[in-house]
Amino acid sequence: MSEALEAQQRLQAVARDPRAYLEQWRQAHPGGKVIGALPMNFPREIAYAAGVLPVIVQDDQKPVTEGRALLAEFYCGYTRNLADQAATGRFDMYDALFMADHCIQLIGSADIVRAVTPQPVFFGMLISSLSDSWAGAKIAEMMGEFRSELERFSGRTIEDHELRASIVAYNKDRQLLRRIFDDRSAGSAVHSPTQLQDYVVSSMVMDPVEHHRLLEAAVSEPASRDRDARVRVHLSGHLCHAPRRELLEVIEDSGALVVDDDLYTGRRYLSTDVDESLDPLDAIGKWYAQRNVNIPCPTRVQHDADWDEYLVEATRSSGAEAVIHLMPKFCEPHMLFYPELRKSLEAAGIPQLLIETEHEGIPLEAFRTRVEALVELTLRKRPVHV
Amino acid sequence: MTTTTTTTPARDQTNRLTMTRTGSKMIADYWEDLFVARENGKKIVWYNGGALNPMFQAAGLAWCHGEAFAARLAAQQLEGPAQLAGAEYGYNSELCSYSRTHLGCAVLTVQGSDDPQTGVVGLHDRVDLASKLPSPDFFVNNYAGCSTGQQWDEVSFRIFGKDLPIFNISHPFLWGNKPDAGYLRGEEWDSASQYVRGQLVELIDFMETQTGEPFDYDKLNESMTYIKRAAELRQEGLELCKAKPAPATFWDWIACIAPINFLPGDQALVDYFQGVKDEIQHRVDNGISGIENEKYRLYFDGIMNWNKLGFLSRRFAEHGAAVLAGRYIQNAFWQEPQLIDTSDPLLGMAQHYLLCPTNHGSKTLDYLTLKDTADYDIDGLVFHATRTCRAFTGPQRLLAKSARDNLGVPSIFFEGDVADASFYKDEILESRLVAMLEAIDVARERGDHKVAGSGAEVAWPS
Repeated sequence: MSEALEAQQRLQAVARDPRAYLEQWRQAHPGGKVIGALPMNFPREIAYAAGVLPVIVQDDQKPVTEGRALLAEFYCGYTRNLADQAATGRFDMYDALFMADHCIQLIGSADIVRAVTPQPVFFGMLISSLSDSWAGAKIAEMMGEFRSELERFSGRTIEDHELRASIVAYNKDRQLLRRIFDDRSAGSAVHSPTQLQDYVVSSMVMDPVEHHRLLEAAVSEPASRDRDARVRVHLSGHLCHAPRRELLEVIEDSGALVVDDDLYTGRRYLSTDVDESLDPLDAIGKWYAQRNVNIPCPTRVQHDADWDEYLVEATRSSGAEAVIHLMPKFCEPHMLFYPELRKSLEAAGIPQLLIETEHEGIPLEAFRTRVEALVELTLRKRPVHV
Repeated sequence: MTTTTTTTPARDQTNRLTMTRTGSKMIADYWEDLFVARENGKKIVWYNGGALNPMFQAAGLAWCHGEAFAARLAAQQLEGPAQLAGAEYGYNSELCSYSRTHLGCAVLTVQGSDDPQTGVVGLHDRVDLASKLPSPDFFVNNYAGCSTGQQWDEVSFRIFGKDLPIFNISHPFLWGNKPDAGYLRGEEWDSASQYVRGQLVELIDFMETQTGEPFDYDKLNESMTYIKRAAELRQEGLELCKAKPAPATFWDWIACIAPINFLPGDQALVDYFQGVKDEIQHRVDNGISGIENEKYRLYFDGIMNWNKLGFLSRRFAEHGAAVLAGRYIQNAFWQEPQLIDTSDPLLGMAQHYLLCPTNHGSKTLDYLTLKDTADYDIDGLVFHATRTCRAFTGPQRLLAKSARDNLGVPSIFFEGDVADASFYKDEILESRLVAMLEAIDVARERGDHKVAGSGAEVAWPS
């Protein structure tokens, strides 16, 4: 097996089984601490600088069982899955849980974690109203609180040089990931959407230095595959967790080729680097604010950051011919903003399809039919060469 | 939006407070005034979340509370046109029904703005209350607890073409990270209070810009003096309802929400709550109860199902169940009036905005729920699993378990919604309610009902 293939398989294994990776990490780092971080904006750099491994908690795709008794069925699948992970002891791989984002469903699930697991749960709420003149100061204040709390949790002081080294490590990994995504939007079809999802999810789980080394190996062998004649689509949505892999496969199996996305487990996550030239904590605060400028998120309120405009522009950059909205059932920010997306795409003449995803029981064949219909519709818009 | 069929309770066994009719008239007058506010030369602000109305009153504005308008539409079974407009625009039916009703109004307003001089929508069709809402001059968002609340006003801002000014107040969620965190105490509470107070000062600057007039602090103090007195009378009235049999019920207090939540702070408001309290006192003095034959005392957790307010009051009364308390009453709406300094009310106002009943971690909610359950000698809890309100429903399962474990009090869940009748299933409530009441009967006969909670003193959890 080639080194590249081996690395690809390793990344895939970590993405699909974080627990196994964490067990290995703990064996290699006796006494080392692991925190679970809830999406979407927790500053992992601070935790890593404290010698802690920060792992973004994934939807582990297991059916919700005992969690059903703890959280209402009209919470989104991800948060119900979190409650279930807590209720069934699957949170035991973390020493604590940290959260930075004000999503009422995330808060609901974190409250369950706090109630049923022994692990401490720290909620440092980053301001979500980013147009306010005081937003920068509040972000900086909260980043300071994260630093203090992680120092307390790890039992050590976080030195600025450690923070800088952590920033460099995460930047380097993001930059490599971003290069792969940029290649895709520029025309490369080497990596499938599931493969890219594995790359990003594994980066959310692993030590960034280790991840970067593996990812570099995974993409080391020269490979090129240009886009074929399938309809080029942009995947949009899933703001805080990964869509099901089988759904991504069905999309590409139905005459569509994914050329770009703004998914959390995709371009959204890796959109922004931390400025290495600034004071490190200040830079992390600015990173948080800049993320919403680079790819606007409907969970933030920023009057001059427009997800709809971003989406139209992204399709022009990548040459996407259509957009598929992947909306997790019960995701309120997405439900609220969807009409704005629809309006802008309609105005731009870009065909689109809304797929409401669920944690369990995804009707793949029904989705296949709908994607095929989108493909047919889009093909009819292609210029005819005679 | 879809109307469901429900069986009518056999006979109305409620004895609603007569004062609520006075309140209904005050509320109707308020809305009628709002509908013609622009013609009367007022600027109009749309807002959501905590009761900013005294600020707007002092600034000489007319104000429209989005949730309140959605609730009013639902209570009058008039939410249909707004929700249909929202659905056609693209809002999913699982979205907070307050927001999609109000956003539907925004859509109707924009679509109907063919007379920008009046801003009154649907002059062609005044029969629909939804279409009467005057368009805003600006927005203020004051939503604590629920993230959807903040996003909702941002979307309203976008529906109106991003042309109107908007001001956001951010509220830290009272999670309780610090060891000293507790209800109304601790570093987290103090710092959050000051933070929100500071934003209210910024809001005053913003309003001065919008109105072109200096803010009238004396008017604010005056308005808050009336509101504080009204809130004190409300608290005194609630205290009287601990009597057995209860002289008034949760449903009576639900009818009093609108006055305390958004009517102007003035003598009429104080007179209203004085009237409510006096009527309750009269009932206590004369042994008059809020329902016939009170047999059970229940707690109601959840935001109100406005489509079914009258229906639910009759449904519970039919079984001799007096619903006496609930998070939406005891723990909301200027519920801690002692925090208000009427000579400098901004801090106390900020604190009340933070005290939104969805802005606490479950530890605090557990404390408050157990305390009310013990104080009102509650026999059972009814959880309204409010389908599109994730903020209220999040901790409910934990609260139910705690009431059982700590006080021996049983509970039931039923599904409904704030402003969408289609989620309500009457048979489910009926069967579960009957089952719980029978279980209470059996436990009483066995002598083990509420054993765990007998004489309970609820303390802050360690």
